[in-house]
Amino acid sequence: MKEPQSVKDIAKNSGEPLARIEALEQIPLPPPFDKIDEEPPFAQLTDEEREKFVVLDDTIAVNIVKPESKEEEDRLVKGFLSGLEKLMTVEDNWTFLQPFEMSMEHCAHCQTCSDACPIYEESGENELYRPMYRSEILRRIYFKYVKKASTKVHGDIDLNWEVVARLIELSYRCNLCRRCAQTCPIGVDNALLSREIRKIASMEMGIVPKELHADGSVLQLKVGSSTGMTPLVVKDNIEFIDEDTAERTGIEIETPWDVQGADILLIHNAGEIMAWPENPGAFATVFEAAGLSWTLSSEIVAYDGINYGVWYDDVQFARVAVKHASAARDLGVKKIVLGECGHAHKALTVIADKILTGDLNIPRESSMVTLRDIIRSGKLKLDPSRNDFPVTLHDPCNLVRLMGIVSPQREILEAILPPGRFREMTPHGVENYCCGGGSGFAIMSGHNFSDWRHRLTGRKKFRQILEAFQDEPMDIEHPKYLCAPCSNCKGQIRDIIAYYDAWEKAGIYYGGLVELIVNAMVDVQPGFIDWEWH
Amino acid sequence: MALFELGDVSIEVDEDGFMQEPENWNEAVAAALGSTEGVDDLTDDHWKVVNYLRDYYLQFGVAPMIRKLCKQTGFQLKEIYELFPSGPAKGACKVAGLPKPTGCV
Repeated sequence: MKEPQSVKDIAKNSGEPLARIEALEQIPLPPPFDKIDEEPPFAQLTDEEREKFVVLDDTIAVNIVKPESKEEEDRLVKGFLSGLEKLMTVEDNWTFLQPFEMSMEHCAHCQTCSDACPIYEESGENELYRPMYRSEILRRIYFKYVKKASTKVHGDIDLNWEVVARLIELSYRCNLCRRCAQTCPIGVDNALLSREIRKIASMEMGIVPKELHADGSVLQLKVGSSTGMTPLVVKDNIEFIDEDTAERTGIEIETPWDVQGADILLIHNAGEIMAWPENPGAFATVFEAAGLSWTLSSEIVAYDGINYGVWYDDVQFARVAVKHASAARDLGVKKIVLGECGHAHKALTVIADKILTGDLNIPRESSMVTLRDIIRSGKLKLDPSRNDFPVTLHDPCNLVRLMGIVSPQREILEAILPPGRFREMTPHGVENYCCGGGSGFAIMSGHNFSDWRHRLTGRKKFRQILEAFQDEPMDIEHPKYLCAPCSNCKGQIRDIIAYYDAWEKAGIYYGGLVELIVNAMVDVQPGFIDWEWH
Repeated sequence: MALFELGDVSIEVDEDGFMQEPENWNEAVAAALGSTEGVDDLTDDHWKVVNYLRDYYLQFGVAPMIRKLCKQTGFQLKEIYELFPSGPAKGACKVAGLPKPTGCV
C-alpha cells in the first residue's frame, strides 16, 4: 500500500499517484467470498489514462485533463481561491454558510471521525482516505491564502495546480454519508466539506463529472429526466408498466396523470421506471388498493425525483427543486410523496427548505411514512407467509441519518413478514453504513471507477449483507431478499452483487420495500417477486 | 473521448466505449463494437435485439426499458445475456450504437 506521509504531500509534483491500494491486503469478506486471492480482478488504469488525466490514486472520477500551460495552471489555482472566498459569504453560500464556517473553524483534530468512515476502514486505513486529510488541506488553504492567518497556528501548505486538481478528485472519494459528522463531538461535517469542494469546482471552475452534470441535471432540466425520458416517453413507459403489473398481479391498474386537486403528488426516481419497473407498478397497486387520491405529474422535471445538484451545485439543485414544488402547487395537491429514493428525500424535504417559501412550501412526505400509514389503516389484506424467505434491510443514509426515518419501514416489515424471517444488519438505523453508491457514485463508471467503488466504498456494506445472512445456507438454492428502499442504493447493490456473482454463489437477491408489500397482498396472484436476476 | 479503430471502422467513443456520434452507426460499426463486448458473430437473434433498440432510439431519443425490450423481441432477459454477455444496457445498447444510458438506471 502506498499512502501520503503528510498533508503537504498533496503539493508534491511527482506525477505519481498519492495512494495505491493492494487488493490482496484488504480484509477478507465473510464466506463464501472469504478467499482474498479469489476475488474478482480489480482493473487498473492504463498508462494512457494516467498520462492524460490528473491521477490521485487507483482511479479517476472527474477527468481533469492535465494543464498544458502556465496560464491553465494559474487558472485552476485562482478559480479555486475565488470560489473558496465566496463560500464564506451569505450571498454566495445561502445554503450552507453556517455549517461550512463552523466545520472550517472548529475541528479539534481528535480523529473520532476516522473510525466512522467505511472507505478509510476498507482501504486499510490509508491516510489519503482519512476524513480529516481532505478537510485539513482545505482548511490550511483557507487560513493561509484566503484569511491570511498564521500558519504557525493553522498549519502550512503550498498551493499549486496539483493541490487543487487532486483535492477536487479527492472530493469524489467520499460518499457524503455523514457518518463522520454524526460521530463528531463538536458537529464538524467533513462530508459537507467534500460537497463544498465539489461546489467550488462546479460553480466557479466548471469542473464536474459528466454523469452528474451534462448527463444528469442539465439533461433533466432540458428534456425532463436524467434518464433522457421526455413526457411522451415516460407516459408510454408507465402505460407499459401498468399492463405488465396487471399481468403479474391480476389486478388492473391505471396510473393517474396530472389529476388536478389530487391529495398526493407521487414523485419517483425515474430510474425506477426504466430499470426497476416493478417498483412504480407496486406503488400504483398499493395506492389504488388503499383508495388513495394520488397522481403523477407529466411536467418536465416533475416526473423524476432525482436532484443531482444536491451532490455538487447549488444553482442546479435550486432549479430542480423549484420545478418539483411548482408542479405540486399547480396541481393543487395537499402533499408531495417521495418514492424510494434517498437523495430525493435529502433534496426536496431537507435542503430545499431554504428555497421553498410561500406557495411553494408544500408538505413533503417520505413514502416510508405513507406506506406505513396504509399498512396501519388495515385496507390491505396481507398474508405474511407469502414472504417466507430470509430478509434483511438496508437503511439509505438520507432516510435514517439525515431524517431519522427508522421505524416506519420496520413496522411495515413486521406486518408483511412471517416471524423469524427478518434480521437486522449490524449496525443499522441511524448508524447504518452507506451502500457505497452515495453522492453519485452508483451512476459513475468511467475508467475503472466501478471496480474502485466495489473494492472501497461498497465493501463495508457488502460485508454487512453477507454477515446478516450467515445463519442461512449461502447458495442459490436458498434465495435471500435484501430490501433496499432507495433507487441509488439498488443500483450500487445490483452492481456489487454482479461483481461478486453473489446471486449465483450466495442466493442474494435485492429489491425495494413496496414490492415486498405487494408480494404479501392476498388479492394479488402469488409470486409478484419473481427472483429473476437482472 | 477516444478514437476506436478496428479494420475499416474508425469512430469516437467515450471512456466506456460507447459511440459519441450515433448517427455514424452502420452494420460494420455494430460488428466492430460487438467484438469489444464478447460478441464475435452477429446472428439473426442479435440483429433482432439491435434493430429493436436502434428503431426505438431513433423514434424516442432514449433507450427502451429493459422489460419492454424483452417483451417486444420475445427474448427472456437471460437469453439477452446469452446473446450479449455484458447485458442489455452495456452490451446490446453499445452494439446498437446508442450512447451510454444516463440517470439512475
